[in-house]
Amino acid sequence: MFPYYVKKDISLLSFVTTQHGHILTAIHHHSGGKDMKLSRREFVKLTGALGATLALTELGFDMKTVKASTKEFKLKGSKEFTSICTFCSVGCGMICHVKDGKLINLEGDPDHIINEGALCSKGASMSVLPNSDQRVKTPLYRAPGSDRWQEISWEEAIERIAKKIKQVRDENWIEKDVDGDKEYPANRTEALGFLGGAQNNNEETYTFVKMARALGATYVEHQARL
Amino acid sequence: MAVEYAMLHDISKCTGCRACMVACKQWKDLPADPTPFVGEFQSHPDLSPTTLNLIRMTETIDEQGNFRWDFLKFQCMHCGDPACAKACPEEALIKKDNGVVSFIEENCVGCGYCAQNCPFGVPKIDKERNKSTKCNLCEDRIEHGMVPACAKTCTANAILWGPREEMVAIAKKRVEELKKKYPHAQLYGVDKSDGVGGTTMMYVLTDKPSVFGLPDNPKVPVSLTIWKDIAQPGGKLLLGATTMAVIGALVSNTILNRGKKEAQEEGGSNHE
Repeated sequence: MFPYYVKKDISLLSFVTTQHGHILTAIHHHSGGKDMKLSRREFVKLTGALGATLALTELGFDMKTVKASTKEFKLKGSKEFTSICTFCSVGCGMICHVKDGKLINLEGDPDHIINEGALCSKGASMSVLPNSDQRVKTPLYRAPGSDRWQEISWEEAIERIAKKIKQVRDENWIEKDVDGDKEYPANRTEALGFLGGAQNNNEETYTFVKMARALGATYVEHQARL
Repeated sequence: MAVEYAMLHDISKCTGCRACMVACKQWKDLPADPTPFVGEFQSHPDLSPTTLNLIRMTETIDEQGNFRWDFLKFQCMHCGDPACAKACPEEALIKKDNGVVSFIEENCVGCGYCAQNCPFGVPKIDKERNKSTKCNLCEDRIEHGMVPACAKTCTANAILWGPREEMVAIAKKRVEELKKKYPHAQLYGVDKSDGVGGTTMMYVLTDKPSVFGLPDNPKVPVSLTIWKDIAQPGGKLLLGATTMAVIGALVSNTILNRGKKEAQEEGGSNHE
């Protein structure tokens, strides 16, 4: 602070620094004296130029201002869902962040018993799968002898699979096992196999096995054993 | 005063799975950086504007003649006394209390002084956008109480994140254990009195730093210190002094001239 008196009681010019180190020029101008030769216009010009020069040269003041990042936080406005990694048989838990119906982030679930928040390089990259333009979004059907896939609806696909299961099961039904001269009721089919995946959760696998047994399928396998 | 954080990479635990590299890209929405196979397991030769975190794989044969693979997580070290921040003319790089060397992209003009002066060769200039790039320790995540993406995803618990004091304690304990198997086991970046003021990215190494491609004694370039700490403040001081002299001259001249004018005017009226 170094006040300058241009003429006593007429004008007082002082430089004021803010707490951030910006230099402001404050002009206290008492234009009462009639003998003032330095016009108001000149005076403002002069002080403005000086202030700007001082601000530029810094004069040892710390001008460093830490700017807050203007970018919006990536997860703002997103919803959290849990999922299980679709890759290997370990079945790591994931937290998925969804915003406007799109998966925007994915990371390990710290509360999951298997991975405790960690994810390997494959799992960590899984968010590109649902957002990929090569993703298969409808069931595909290739007719016998055809060289191309055609898109079909879920209703059609499920209907067709159900019919095929029924047909194969009926054609290959084993009602009895014969051991020597004794007969035992068997009620099974060896023509159907059920293959589970690592990403199925407990409840899904329970239903899955229940369905396999109800249909009489004996071959129930899991991806982890392949 | 904010809590000072630190990241610790225990290279004896690292399995080189590169999940940290993927998690980094995933969080920052960076595209893949395809590289050809060059006959070794190193994926990328160096950091790039789209690869801010890299696992360096080194093949070493130790003193006993045993072959060993080492994996080192390489990215911005977040120095205590960052040469990049000192070199940056636009205040785009700022050392924060929480240990992060923050990068403010809006301020960056892509001059490349940070890249020239970094003792570790970390910042890479994105020539298309004309901006510098480097790891920011997932500053946005830290601000929201989350762990940086690489430390969060680490499958081997080799990357740890937490208050610096805790990390230093863990590192010191670990290096004592490792010395039984690796006689050259040492800490890196923990000592704040080294040439770069310690680093927020700390390592537990199983061998000398040079084995993993790290400088043994990282230093802020002397030329930079001379320029920024001596030449520039001196220049500013002189410029300031000149300005003050000009102000003084202007003000005094104005007063003196007016005094003369008044005297002339007064003198003239006296004659009449």
